[in-house]
Formats: sequence, structure tokens, C-alpha cells
Amino acid sequence: MNRVRARNESAWLLPNDGTRTNHRLRHDMRHFDTSEVVDAVVVGCGAGGGVVTQRLARRGWKVVAFDAGPFWDPDRDWVSDEAGAHDLYWNEPRVISGSDPIQLGANNSGRGVGGSMVHFAGYAPRFHPSDFAIYSTDGVGADWPIAYDDLKAHYEDMEAELPVAGQAWPWGHPHRYPHSPHPMGGNGLAFVRGCEAAGIEVRVGPVAISNGRFGNRPHCIYRGFCLQGCKVNAKASPLITHVPDALAHGAEIRSDAMVGRIEVDRARRATGVTYFHRDREYLQRARVVIVAGYSIETPRLFLNSACREFPDGLCNDFDQVGRYVMVQGAPQTSGRYPEEIRSYKAPPPEASSEAFYETDPAKPYKRGFSLQCISPLPITFAEHVVAQGYWGETLREYMRDSVHWATFGALCEFLPLPENRVTLADEQDRHGLPVANFSYSLCDNDRALVRAATEVLNELHQKAGAEEAMTINRYAHLIGGCRMAQSEESGVVDANLRSFGVPNLFIVDGSVCPTQGSANPALTIMALAARAADYLDRAESGR
Amino acid sequence: MSQAESWDETTTPVILRRLARHGAPRFFSADEEPAARALLDHLLAQNDEPKVPVFEMVDARLADGQPDGYHYDDLPRDPATWRWSLQALDAAARERAGVRFSELDPDGQRDLIEDVRICDGRWQGLPAGHLFGVWMRYACSSFYSHPWAWNEIGFGGPAYPRGYKHLALDGREPWEVQEVDAHDPIPWADRAEDAKKRHADGLSSRRPAPDEEPA
Repeated sequence: MNRVRARNESAWLLPNDGTRTNHRLRHDMRHFDTSEVVDAVVVGCGAGGGVVTQRLARRGWKVVAFDAGPFWDPDRDWVSDEAGAHDLYWNEPRVISGSDPIQLGANNSGRGVGGSMVHFAGYAPRFHPSDFAIYSTDGVGADWPIAYDDLKAHYEDMEAELPVAGQAWPWGHPHRYPHSPHPMGGNGLAFVRGCEAAGIEVRVGPVAISNGRFGNRPHCIYRGFCLQGCKVNAKASPLITHVPDALAHGAEIRSDAMVGRIEVDRARRATGVTYFHRDREYLQRARVVIVAGYSIETPRLFLNSACREFPDGLCNDFDQVGRYVMVQGAPQTSGRYPEEIRSYKAPPPEASSEAFYETDPAKPYKRGFSLQCISPLPITFAEHVVAQGYWGETLREYMRDSVHWATFGALCEFLPLPENRVTLADEQDRHGLPVANFSYSLCDNDRALVRAATEVLNELHQKAGAEEAMTINRYAHLIGGCRMAQSEESGVVDANLRSFGVPNLFIVDGSVCPTQGSANPALTIMALAARAADYLDRAESGR
Repeated sequence: MSQAESWDETTTPVILRRLARHGAPRFFSADEEPAARALLDHLLAQNDEPKVPVFEMVDARLADGQPDGYHYDDLPRDPATWRWSLQALDAAARERAGVRFSELDPDGQRDLIEDVRICDGRWQGLPAGHLFGVWMRYACSSFYSHPWAWNEIGFGGPAYPRGYKHLALDGREPWEVQEVDAHDPIPWADRAEDAKKRHADGLSSRRPAPDEEPA
């Protein structure tokens, strides 16, 4: 038995007959009674929650993992269509504000088992060692209470379990990938051509898409709908990479169950969670509560769990809950080529460069950006054209020409700012719970990075042979909001992701990250979850 | 649509529903319908029949409660934003010409829409930039989900379970055809935008300022 399979058998627990869901495994799923005090409840079943559930179940913990959305079946629920993928997103009400309000939904918010990894592009880079101490080295942002070496082994494990395909990686901590790089379509080829002509180092990958059979997961078919949910089971999400193994080890996935409140007793210990299922309210008791709702819903849940012991919101005695949320500046520049690019073919994520990732002392800004190619489907490409101020005939004319356009993007490391935060809005959702108000405003360093990245993107197109280019300013990813810190005055959880305020309450999702680098966050969230599970089993097994 | 036989059985009905006949509007009232139709036709330059049924698709989406969820703090949730903004279009048309938006001539309708797009602050009390973004998001997500539009832009549509195997610059599957009208749209688009701008500049001298009371 190979080493991955010994640690996580998910890929071997999927069917190999052309269907994508092991219905027998789901049918036989263990069910815990709400009156039973389970070892742990996990709130949210995405990158963080999916991994921690699998790891703890394997160690014999009785775990119930909640998700507000459905337990997806790729065959029955997902369509090979851009507009038809609307149900994959968190479409519950939220308010956006600030001087640079961040659009949510499709871009960054998932719902259902697998979380936003169900519709993430698939890029799975690591953070750099420098990301963990940017305050010490650059005087901006914050230092993490852990270092790269604390995550290194977990990065390696996750890259094998997803698995990640790509060329050997020269940046940050150099490493190799378990699967070889994928062939590229027109968009990726134009990107690599531009990088090479501009003298910018570039690599194919890293993408969490199996290249070749992996367990019972088939090879990618290059149909280009990664962002609409992979019907093939080639692109990784916890739905197929960790949940099957969790079920096989006795975990329960309680889907369509929206957790509204964490219950805390007089001694400031968590006793369980209250949740809504088909409009009825239930209480599930647990010894340990693990929240994995991500940067908006995790702070919202803590704020909505205010009680006599925590009148300003759970673990919010120092006004840290909901602060320092970050997005990445994600300008994308499309170029018009004489050749047909047909960017809808092949996975949208193909190749990337981290040549501009680190602080360049010659530049007036700190930190940097990464470059990636990413192919928009028609509705998204129309947003690019509309961003130029075009509508009507001009919009139609640009769109008619779609097959000639290639799109390259950047991810800029925006800094953590206390006023970029989640608070509770005056409006309520269908359960009567106050919704999140997410406020965002850029700082000067953020704007300088976007300008610098946009210049490079334009240069790439020029060098690759584009005749014209157009840029859309947009944002990607979410991170932060309940950050880990040395002390309760400056964060919500400690280095082991245990909340400062409630000793048996943990946060295991992207909200704990104090900074974000210019890497896509999914792999780091999973690595943090695997590390947290190791700690939980050592410190809290209680059996 | 000639490739529909290669689609999977979950995707096919989702696409075919977009081609089906639509009944009476369920979200927009009879009073709102003319302005909504005129607005959506202009946003997508659908000047002649046959049209992609964008009005019907937006109506269905709002009636079925499938919004994007988030909304700007200076706008209400999407359904209310649509109702308010249609009333605002009628109000703006009455200020300008004493008629409803749908009763303006097509140039007048386009001028009013362009007013909203170029407005930096508030238009009829609504944040113009955010509002224009909501309009375009609904318009484009409906139009460019329709197979007619895919034919116009050369998009392959659903691709499961078949996938693609010819990945290359100028690479085509056996069923894909070379673009028939390979001219660069940018010179044309530049001319169109220039003309629009000159037209707007010409109008601005006789147009009341946004905050000015109508005569």
C-alpha cells in the first residue's frame, strides 16, 4: 500500500465505473444523536473543516461536521455550464462596504461540502518562508506565531493527497510536485511565451488536478470548467480528497445544517452548537468545538454567539474578532492575439511565476505579487469588457472576438489592516440571524502593488505578441478575520489554533492567517488543518 | 446546439430550459416591464428580433430568488435595486422629456443609460457605479449563458463528458470551425466609443446637472 493511501484512502473509496459518488459510503454513514456528547463538532466542511474531520476521524474521534449547504453529488448536482454553477456559491445575504467593497459569491465564497474548493481554479502553491515574519523583515503586516517549518511536512502531505501537478518549484522553499505538469491550452501557451520573451522565470502548475489516474480518480479531460465544479473528479476538493476517508472512519457529515450559535457555559467552556436544519433548530453537544467557516462566516458566528460571558461576541474581549480580513489584489489583463487562443479549453489554471513574490528593495512598496494565467468563461470575460466602460454594440463586438483573447492575472499581497473587517449588519437572514457586513479599503502599498503588477501583465502581453490589452481591477480570495497571535490582545487564536477566550474552542480555517503572501490560500489552509488535527489529538483526546 | 447529444444528462435540461418559451413575467410588474425590456435591450444591443430572451431570464432569476447574495451597503438587495432603478429611469425620462423611459426614442434611451454609466456620484439618488454594475451583471450573465450568444462568440458550450483534446494556439476540435470574421474589433470599437463620447459631449451643454431641479 502506498504512503498516501495508508494516510488517506479517499481516492480509492470513490467509484471507478464512470460515476463520481460512492453512494454506499454515504448511505452507511454513521449518525450521532444530538443528545450524545460527541468528541468534536466541525462547523464548515471546506478546506479546513474537511481535512480536520478526516484526520480526527482516523484517530478514532467521534466527529460531526456541519455544512450549511448540500452534500454534493457531482453527477447529479453539477452542470458543465457557467451560469448553471450559481448554486455552488454562498448566495445568502451579506453587505459589502468600505472605499473598495469586495464582491463576494462566485469569486471567493463556497457553500456545501467541499467548500469554495469545489469552485476554486485549482492553483495550490505554498506560502514562502518569508510570509511568516513580514513584520520583522519588512516592517509591515504581522508575524505569525509559527514558522514555515511548522507547516512544511503538512504541505508535503497535502500535495500528495490532492495531488498537485507541476514543474519543480524554484521559489520560496524549492520543492517538487508528486504529479508531472499538465499540457497547456492556448491561454497557458501565450502566458509562457510572454514570460520567456520578457525574461521572467515561469513554471507550469502548481495545480491540484491529477495528471494520470489517482486511486479511482480519472485523468483530467481538459474541458475548462474547473470553476463550475469538477464533474470528472480530477480537480481536488475535500468532497473527494478527505470526506470519503472521514466517512469510512465513522465521521458524520451533517449537510444543509446552518450553525447559528456556539453555546458556552458559565465556566467559559464550549458545550456544543445550535443549528438550523429544514427550519427547525437543534443543539448538538460536543467536547470540542472546531469552527471552519472561513473569513466572513467564522467571525459572524463568533459575533452572533454573544452571551452573558462574552457580551461583545465570543472571544471578542479585545475587539479582535472580524479584524484584519484580507483579499488579494487580482488585476487581470486580457490581450488580443492574431491566433485563436480559445481560452475556454483546458483548465483555467495552467502556469505561474513567483518571480515578483518577495520584497524588492529597489521598489517603493513592500512585498510583491505572483503571476498566473486564468481563462475566464464568457460571462466572466464579459465583465472584463464591461470594466472598460463598454456596453451595447461595443460589448457585443468585443465578445464576438472572444476566441482571440488570452487572459493573465496577478495576485497582489494586500496587507492586514484592522479596519478591514467583518461586523454585524442591521439586516437578518432567513433564520433571523444578523448577516455580515464586510468592509474593505485599500492602503497605499496595496495600490502600488496593483499598479506594478498591471504593468508587468501588460508587458507580458506585448512580448507575447498581443495587439491590444485591457485590464480589469478585481480581487480574489479571502483570508484573516480571526488571526493567530502570541497574545489575546492581538489575535483570536494561539499558535495551536486554540481560541484565547474558550479553551475547548478552535478555529481551523483561513481566517487564522495573519498574512497571506501572494499565494492562493487553499493548500495552506489544508496544511494548517492537518497540523491542528495532530495537536488536537495530542492535547485534547481525553480518552 | 448541434453538439447537444454530447452533453451529460444533468447539464442538457439546464441549457434547454433557456431555449424554452417563457410565460408572463413573474417578478416585473406590467408597469415595470417596458422600462426593463428597453434597458436590457440597450445594454446588450439587442435592437432587432430574434432576441435572446434576457428580460425573461432576468425576470425568472429575480422571481425565483436566485440573487448573488451580497449587496453594496448603499443599495438594497438585488430585487429592490431593480424595482427602484426602473422607477428612477422613468423619473429621469420624465424630467428630460416628460415621458416614460420606454417612450423615449432609442437615442434618448441610450443617452440616459450612458448618463448612469459615466456618473461619478449619485444618479436619481442611487449610487450610479454600483447600480450600473448590478444591471450589467444580470444582463451579461443571462445573455452569455444562451446558446445563441455562444454561437456568436465561438464558445464551445458544455464539455462533459467529452472534454477537449486539441490544446494549442489555433488548435481546433473536429467540430470547431475557424472564426469566419477574424477582423480585430478594436478599431471599430474605438470609433464607436469616440462617436458616443462626441455625442455625449454635445449633449452635456444642454443637459441639466444631476442635482439640478427639473424645469
